[in-house]
Amino acid sequence: MEKIKKISILGLFLNFMLACTNLDEEPLGLLAPQSFFKTQSDAEAAVMGGYSWLASEYLYGRKLLVTLQYASDMCDIGDIGTASRRIEINNFTANSNNEMVSNMWPIFYQVISAANAAISGIPGIDMNEDYKNQLIAEAKMIRALCYFYMVRLWGDIPYIGEFITDPNAIKDITKTPVSEIYEFIIADCEDGVKYLPDTYPKGIRSRPTKGSAKTMLASVYLTLKDYTKAAQYAEDVINNASAYGYDLMGDYQDLWKADLGNHKEQIWAVDFKGSLQGNYPQQVDFMAPMTGVRDADMQGWSALVASPGVYDSFDDRDYRKKVSFLTETSIKGVLVPYTQFRWPRIHIAKWCLYPGSSATKDGTLSDHNYNIYRYAEVLLIAAEAINEAGAPNAKAYEYINKVRARARNFGGTQTNFPDDLQSGMSQSEFRAAVREERRVELAFEWKRWFDIKRWDIGTEVFTGPNSYEPHPNFQKSHYLLPLPQDELDRNPNLLPQNPGY
Amino acid sequence: MKKNQFFPRKRWWYFVSKLLLCMKLTIFLFVISIFAATANSYSQQSRFNLHYENVTIKEVLNEIKSQSNLQFFYSNDDFDINRKVNVRVSDASIEDVLNQILREMGVSYKISDNVVIISRSDVKWSFGKNQQSFGVKGKVTDENGVPLPGVTVVVKGTVRGTITEVNGHYSLPDIKANDILVFSFVGMRSREIEVLGKTSVDVVLEEETVGIEEVVAIGYGTMKKSDLTGSVASVSATDLAAYPALGATQAIQGRASGVMVTSKNGEPGTEPRVRIRGGTSINASSDPLYVVDGFAGGTVPAPEDIQSIEILKDASATAIYGSRGANGVVLVTTKSGIAGKTRVELNTSYSVQEIGKTLDMLNGQEFAELMNDMYVNDGLTTVPYPDPQQYGKGTDWQDEIFRTGILQNYQLSVSGGKENIKFYTSANYYGNKGSIINSDFNRISGLTNLDISVNDHIKLGTKMNFIRTTRDGLRTQEASGSTTGTGVIMAALKFEPVQGIYNEDGSYTRHKIGDPHDNPVAIAKEREDNTVADVFQGNSYAEIDLLKNLIFRSTFGVQIYNSRNGQYVPKTLTGGEIYGGIGSISSNKNTVLLNENYLTYNKELNELNKLSLMAGYSYQSYRSEYWNASNRNFISDSFSFWNLGGGSNYQSASSSLTEWELASFYGRFNYNFANKYLLTFTGRYDGSSRFGANNKWAFFPSGALAWNVKEESFLKDVSELSHMKVRVSYGLTGNTEIGSYKSLALFTPSTTIQDGSTVNAVIPYTVANDNLTWESTAQSDFGIDIGLFDERLIFTADYYYKKTSDLLYNVPLPEYSGFSTSLQNIGSVENKGWEFALTTVNSNTAIKWNTNFNISFNRNKILKLAGGDVLYMTVPGHINSTYSQILREGEVVGAFYGWVTDGIYQQGDDFSAEAGKVPGNIKYRDVNGRDTNGKLDGKPDGVVNSDDRIIIGNPHPDFIFGFNNEFSYKNFDLNIFFQGSVGNDMLNYTRLELDRLAGYNNATKDALRRWTPTNTDTDVPMASGANKAEVSTRWVEDGSYIRLKNLSLGYNVQGNILKRCHLSKFRVYVSAQNLITITKYTGYDPEVSYSDSNTNVGLDYGSYPNVKSLTIGVNIGL
Repeated sequence: MEKIKKISILGLFLNFMLACTNLDEEPLGLLAPQSFFKTQSDAEAAVMGGYSWLASEYLYGRKLLVTLQYASDMCDIGDIGTASRRIEINNFTANSNNEMVSNMWPIFYQVISAANAAISGIPGIDMNEDYKNQLIAEAKMIRALCYFYMVRLWGDIPYIGEFITDPNAIKDITKTPVSEIYEFIIADCEDGVKYLPDTYPKGIRSRPTKGSAKTMLASVYLTLKDYTKAAQYAEDVINNASAYGYDLMGDYQDLWKADLGNHKEQIWAVDFKGSLQGNYPQQVDFMAPMTGVRDADMQGWSALVASPGVYDSFDDRDYRKKVSFLTETSIKGVLVPYTQFRWPRIHIAKWCLYPGSSATKDGTLSDHNYNIYRYAEVLLIAAEAINEAGAPNAKAYEYINKVRARARNFGGTQTNFPDDLQSGMSQSEFRAAVREERRVELAFEWKRWFDIKRWDIGTEVFTGPNSYEPHPNFQKSHYLLPLPQDELDRNPNLLPQNPGY
Repeated sequence: MKKNQFFPRKRWWYFVSKLLLCMKLTIFLFVISIFAATANSYSQQSRFNLHYENVTIKEVLNEIKSQSNLQFFYSNDDFDINRKVNVRVSDASIEDVLNQILREMGVSYKISDNVVIISRSDVKWSFGKNQQSFGVKGKVTDENGVPLPGVTVVVKGTVRGTITEVNGHYSLPDIKANDILVFSFVGMRSREIEVLGKTSVDVVLEEETVGIEEVVAIGYGTMKKSDLTGSVASVSATDLAAYPALGATQAIQGRASGVMVTSKNGEPGTEPRVRIRGGTSINASSDPLYVVDGFAGGTVPAPEDIQSIEILKDASATAIYGSRGANGVVLVTTKSGIAGKTRVELNTSYSVQEIGKTLDMLNGQEFAELMNDMYVNDGLTTVPYPDPQQYGKGTDWQDEIFRTGILQNYQLSVSGGKENIKFYTSANYYGNKGSIINSDFNRISGLTNLDISVNDHIKLGTKMNFIRTTRDGLRTQEASGSTTGTGVIMAALKFEPVQGIYNEDGSYTRHKIGDPHDNPVAIAKEREDNTVADVFQGNSYAEIDLLKNLIFRSTFGVQIYNSRNGQYVPKTLTGGEIYGGIGSISSNKNTVLLNENYLTYNKELNELNKLSLMAGYSYQSYRSEYWNASNRNFISDSFSFWNLGGGSNYQSASSSLTEWELASFYGRFNYNFANKYLLTFTGRYDGSSRFGANNKWAFFPSGALAWNVKEESFLKDVSELSHMKVRVSYGLTGNTEIGSYKSLALFTPSTTIQDGSTVNAVIPYTVANDNLTWESTAQSDFGIDIGLFDERLIFTADYYYKKTSDLLYNVPLPEYSGFSTSLQNIGSVENKGWEFALTTVNSNTAIKWNTNFNISFNRNKILKLAGGDVLYMTVPGHINSTYSQILREGEVVGAFYGWVTDGIYQQGDDFSAEAGKVPGNIKYRDVNGRDTNGKLDGKPDGVVNSDDRIIIGNPHPDFIFGFNNEFSYKNFDLNIFFQGSVGNDMLNYTRLELDRLAGYNNATKDALRRWTPTNTDTDVPMASGANKAEVSTRWVEDGSYIRLKNLSLGYNVQGNILKRCHLSKFRVYVSAQNLITITKYTGYDPEVSYSDSNTNVGLDYGSYPNVKSLTIGVNIGL
């Protein structure tokens, strides 16, 4: 009897223990996708996810920007001990293992994935339809921006237009031709034109508006050499500038004063705030120290400096030369010329001088909002497109001269340089003028490399007699970066590699 | 449990013997007794009522035992203990009972106090107490001078003998001058003493540290070592306490074959890395499972509180832990009380510690010249130090941060109890002032074990352990490359020797050229990093005899871990200056609950067939909470991190919760045929919340066969061979250490900035894998155990092959999917190798000399990887701009990867392969090109680029070994313990950063050999900003070492002095740890690791070096 009692107690006990076991995981503090898209704020958070990676060290925080800079003829290596991946980009010696390439590639696709998640998840939410369409259009703009970069950097790439829940399902896909990718980009931007608002409250510029969508369309069509449409969209922006809140800043220098925050010249920008960085690499940026002066009081790294001849190629009377270049800085409290820098090169001033009050001492984690587009570029796109579409008309002169006029405000003092372009120029004269205007106005703003490619002037600017930064090894195949080797290894259907690699 | 926990104590009615006492001489004496009676109740007066029919004699004796406190000694050789008898007595004396049951057995018995000895009638037993003292008499004690009662003393070659009394005394009559007395006692090494005409022979018996009759812990039970079928290594309490060690894991280094213990660095309080038969995984943890008194995943107490450690290595031994057994299991048995006089022990030691060596750095003048040289080589016309001579020797920063460390270790333990309640309780203090200023670690811990016998059927007990550790840490491992990331060690090596600690205004100096890095003294003194952790672990058990031979045991355990880390970077440092001070505080609260329920059934079917069964169920849950807050811009540095509200720049707070559950069914079947053939099957069926919906449960079986060859008739007569066993086992074990929620598709909260403010964002994070399952390791083991010359030489050899498949691996996904990896069960790794252990008694005369030698050869290889090669780097990018390591099929995990250096470019060389390089630069070898399909073809292509990187180093040793020697002579004991690792490479990042000669930092004296136009015959490049931080053969070094781990000399005070002081033991000793290290490695120490993981082995970067210690200590017993 005693034994039976003991054993039944044991049995009950085991029963009790088994009943307590539940092996299903219910994580708190993490979000399961299937249960996520419920409310309007979920929709907003999903769209914001795209910016998390856009504003990271891999893209607008450093790698994307310096890749475009080094590749161009305007920028060069300063500290010769800097990482090889940068030197390879600068010298056109990168191969398919280059870490700039392999680092940017996945992050672009992660931004795209975040945008796709929003695009596929938001429609199921019960909320205001207009706002729903607006948020979806915003996500599409983020997606279009990434593909626009990628298609120019790599050419044919896989186009992913859906949120991927089963990566194995797409492991064998092939590349999408450039032309198709552009069609998707244009479609996304057109949705942006349709659904995005003219402005956002508080003058926010880090979210795309109708104006941003039109600007990007102008830029896309300019790249596609559809100058009529490029001009049409750019002029649309210009004509609605007041509705969209766009204008040139009065002082060119103010464009690089991070503390000014959002301003009217920004059409779309990537917002950083130094004191609010997330987990590395999110919201972490390095443009200020990359361009700042090594061993100086600003504690920069002299990694990215102006190419040797660039400084002399600017007219001394141009205020933009003063703002763009750094020829002296203070070392141990004493102002010294660049010839006494640790790396005696003329430096780039746009980011390292005024990185904002929350930046660290060397300028890391700045408050800069890096422009995707600014209004001056819209004016120059319009001028260039009109000219390329036929001949310079009065509007084309008006647009370019507006940019030149602003440059005559020499930090508060009105000068007469650069003077207005006078009508009567030939198409090719105007072309040369507008190209030069872009080079000067947008100096060191990661636009130059795509301009070189667009205009197909690589051979001239890298191997020609007037090259600022001669690279005799430059080939037109360098217009594209290599596809990352590990990605090719994972999916051989992506072969062939871009030519020349 | 091991036998030496059953030492008898002074009062013999406290004498405890739970299982068996066994000796082998001319006769065997088994002692089987459990004393339930209280002290002073002499059982000779007990009266018995027994009514049994057809029961064995053994059963009757057991019944008598349970009714009295009588203890029976008999040999199976003398009579058939299993013979069936009838008993029918009422109110009978013990003599009546014995007369009845032993009738016609040809045996007689003697009763003395509580001891009943049954033997053949022709054996003449004599009890000292009842005999006149003629012949020989004497006293038997243990090493600590404690008298040993119950020791058999036999005249060799006869069947005459006696047993020592309570006070250890014995006397034997009729001794001839040339007789040899044999003293034996379970758990002690037998001794033979020639009488040589003496009338008084006192004997000290020593604990037998090895032996085939040893009882060892296995999962959920114990087993005689002779019955083991698996590969189990034991480490004894003596070895664990041989020198002051941070923890048991440190103390087992070099003690057991197949177990690789490597210190991560010398920072006080840093636990080492333990690998049993190699790292089985890439991404999941390869740490063994620690089981403390049955608490799986328990916290290991202070080494002095540990009775023994068993390391389960092969699948036969580990499969009982199923999904957590793949990395081996470390079973820790803590000390328990022994009934008898209360024992008080005090063990103290005091050590002074010094850094093993310092690096030979440039002095002030040499540094200034180096900097000038670099500036000129980089094309500058001005130099930073126009007059280098004026700096002379400058500051040796290593002298400024290193100090004499102090290690104090105290343990006070009290143990004892009565038969029905026994206790062991201890308090420990371990305090280490590290050999770098401002690095301290303290631990206070206590352990209490209670064992209560409620009645004959029920035992209860509880084991409680609490530990508080306090660590004042230092940053020794570099963070990022900015001015705020420097660690103390690298700062001491890099900082300009031309400066002092303080500026004239009393502020700390900072780097004058380059970024304004803080000086090492400032970093060490100003930066606060304080961690306080509390562990409470309690585990209670109840053990119930349900039926005959069937025992049910249930345990409830809880482990609570709370830790708090506070950090503050004051404004006196560059990092703090930028932000006006940075303060943060974070906390962790972990709770583990464990319930185990299992039944054990032991049955001797007959003399030949014995079996035992064990089956059970367990449930374990884990919950971890974490939270963190930080702020910046403080009004005052004086708050430290204790007033986060005193700052004005709030940082985002964080918190998280992690949980997992494990439910298991397990069982084991042991079968023993004639002690010759031993068979074990184990199985565990585990269900874990961590795995995919389709794979929550998995089964882990193992089987093993052992053959005691010595028991075979053809070897019975080979007297030189004392035992010989051949073992073979195979089984599956798993690894769950992948973290929680890994099978789920997840979005993760993020943030982004809008208008300078944070807004919520959500990003896709992981992709679901419903099929995610356990890593499983299939392991085969072939072993042989041989004992020779009466166990004076014991040899064990094992060959094992472990293949881990379904490797939990972050399989690279096509990155265009938006996910870079997904955790999948793809890939496999193998570890195979040989292990040998040899224990010998080299001398057993006045000078005693025992040695233990073990050596292990493990070979690690990646068999299959999904997605091809994986290149990765570990250190921050400012140190190394290229990948440093590789995972590749057919290679070891964590091989070093980089370029092969080919000397220095000279004037007139062909520079076409490395355009841009100039004379004085490092030259890399062109080894690879690509064929027309873009595949590497292994042929030089005239260009050096990333394709020319190859595997340049293997961080895994060819073999590791431990070699321990124990000598004793009279009152002295001497221990010499060597330990080493041979054939492993190190990647010396420290030198990469110092001797690259591109930075604005100091360099080693090697820089004096640097290339200049006039000094071209060198392997050191010229100083130049162009020298890149790239991994190459230049930084890979041989990390082999042999180390004199411990050298100690002790003196045991014995004799009357002890008695006068009322002490049972007083031992003083001096010892030295790490006194000599023989290595070619140029860094501080080859036994460091920058980052601890499976994939990061053999990296040295500014690691806190290990130290040499000189220790004096005292062991006192009351």
